[in-house]
Amino acid sequence: MRGDPSRSRITIAWLMLPGLAVLVFSLAVPLGFSVYYSFTDWAGFGDYQRVGLDNYRAILTDDPVFWRAVRNVVVLIAMTIFVQNPVAFALAAVLSRLSARTSRLLRTAYFVPAVLSLVIVAKLWVDVFNPTFGILNKLLRAVGLDALAVSWLSNPHTSLAAVIWIILWQGFGWALLFYYAALMTVPRDLEEAARVDGASWSQTYRHVVIPHLAPVIATVIIIDVISAMKQMELIYLSTAGGPGQLTQFLGVYLYQKAFVSGEYGYGSALSVVFVVVAGGLTLAVQRGLRALAR
Amino acid sequence: MTVRSAPRAPRATGRRRMAVLHIALVLFALTQLFPLVWVVLYSLQRSGDLFGNDLLKLPADPQWHNYARAWTDGQIVRYGLNSLIVVTASTVVSTVLAFCMGYALARMRWRLKRFAVAAVVLGMVVPVHATLLPNFIWYGIFGLIDTRLGLVIPYVAFTLSFNTLVYASHFESLPDALEEAALIDGASWPRILWTIIAPLATPATVTVAVMTFLSGWNEFIMANTYLASDELRTLPFSVIRFEGQYSSDYAVQFACMVIVAVPALALYLFFSKHIMAGATAGSVKG
Repeated sequence: MRGDPSRSRITIAWLMLPGLAVLVFSLAVPLGFSVYYSFTDWAGFGDYQRVGLDNYRAILTDDPVFWRAVRNVVVLIAMTIFVQNPVAFALAAVLSRLSARTSRLLRTAYFVPAVLSLVIVAKLWVDVFNPTFGILNKLLRAVGLDALAVSWLSNPHTSLAAVIWIILWQGFGWALLFYYAALMTVPRDLEEAARVDGASWSQTYRHVVIPHLAPVIATVIIIDVISAMKQMELIYLSTAGGPGQLTQFLGVYLYQKAFVSGEYGYGSALSVVFVVVAGGLTLAVQRGLRALAR
Repeated sequence: MTVRSAPRAPRATGRRRMAVLHIALVLFALTQLFPLVWVVLYSLQRSGDLFGNDLLKLPADPQWHNYARAWTDGQIVRYGLNSLIVVTASTVVSTVLAFCMGYALARMRWRLKRFAVAAVVLGMVVPVHATLLPNFIWYGIFGLIDTRLGLVIPYVAFTLSFNTLVYASHFESLPDALEEAALIDGASWPRILWTIIAPLATPATVTVAVMTFLSGWNEFIMANTYLASDELRTLPFSVIRFEGQYSSDYAVQFACMVIVAVPALALYLFFSKHIMAGATAGSVKG
């Protein structure tokens, strides 16, 4: 249907090759580099030894910081799916029945944090959480909760929660936007039919709207998992993984290993594990959700 | 499921519930904007005012010179120009390449397409952070470290996959017979792409270009890794600059954050429709 094939072949090459070249140059080759150096003890300069699987063995069996980072990612994923998403869904549901103008105004406001540079978002919250002049502690003191006015980002009991809050705050607009767009695709008569049959709001949502949106919700959860895995800048710029590695995440950890402690070999192995875990988790979640939907 | 006998009662409770939900909506909007309001208000006061007991205070005597100092000390002009050059270049390249790939993937038939699709999907899955170290070594071989080109290339690479998918899904929605008449008339492919396809792709092009521009404009970790010299740094570094140097001058830091945030916010407000369309392009279609 699309023209004569021999002429098309050259066209396809012209259309595809430049883009593919960029992807190979900046994604595929570096992954190959990571795999190669992950079998060495290179320090970033000078000679290096091939050490076989030692780096991987060390990561999996002898690196509590790595496992702390994995744990933190799991906590972040759970908080995203079970706290941020339901709130975003509920607000999107209300927004979807407001007048177009009001809903647009509010959606614009909700999405503002999502378009700010992560540098600004991180700095903003470092200041809000600041123990002496931060607005959060002033607020707490103003309502008499002086005991809660702690140094949020450096206190070991609160640092992870504070970092996760920053991430959820920044990502909230995205979640809301996804669910709002999804809710707008639900046919009005479907909902109205359920209402006419006497179903309450919660029943309508539970039995009609949510099942209708199951594929979208599954996609959003996949996006949540991928983006939780990829979190790095907000942590790096707020706690840098501290205090005492408590808020460590994979992206931050491998960055510090490579560029701060100069362990290129070990950092490369962490990069490979990161890609494998991110890819594997994405596939697993995709499969699992597809099986659930059946 | 219980059938209600009195239809009025649930409507009234429904209305009350809606009122509660409306309050929740406004409260959440405040949560999303409150820290920004705080920063804007205190960017116009003396740094010492921040340590007072007031929660929020309107600046009685606006210290506009905070902005003047943020502008000069934050190197806004130099960093801003650097951002503009790098981000414009990467936006143009990424948009053009994605247009081509999206077209070939959505509207042409060929063998090996599966592999190309796999490469594009790989670009969505691989975390930027896993490529920082190897690319630092790899780009170094070509002398790309600490150059503008060394930032444009990864900015293109990490936006290309998403952009290609946006174009591909747009092209799939166009009617099949679109190019046939032109092909039969013997028009060349570049001509078809430029005169027939490109105008029809305008909505996708705006979305792709704005999203790419915004992500490059806000990008930090690649710039932090691949650039070394101050002359080439991009706008987010204006905020970072203040960390060590003027660490007690909070009002100036706040002013700097406002200055850096404004262009992105303006772009967002102007193109919010396209940004929202682009953001949901992948998810709702499934």
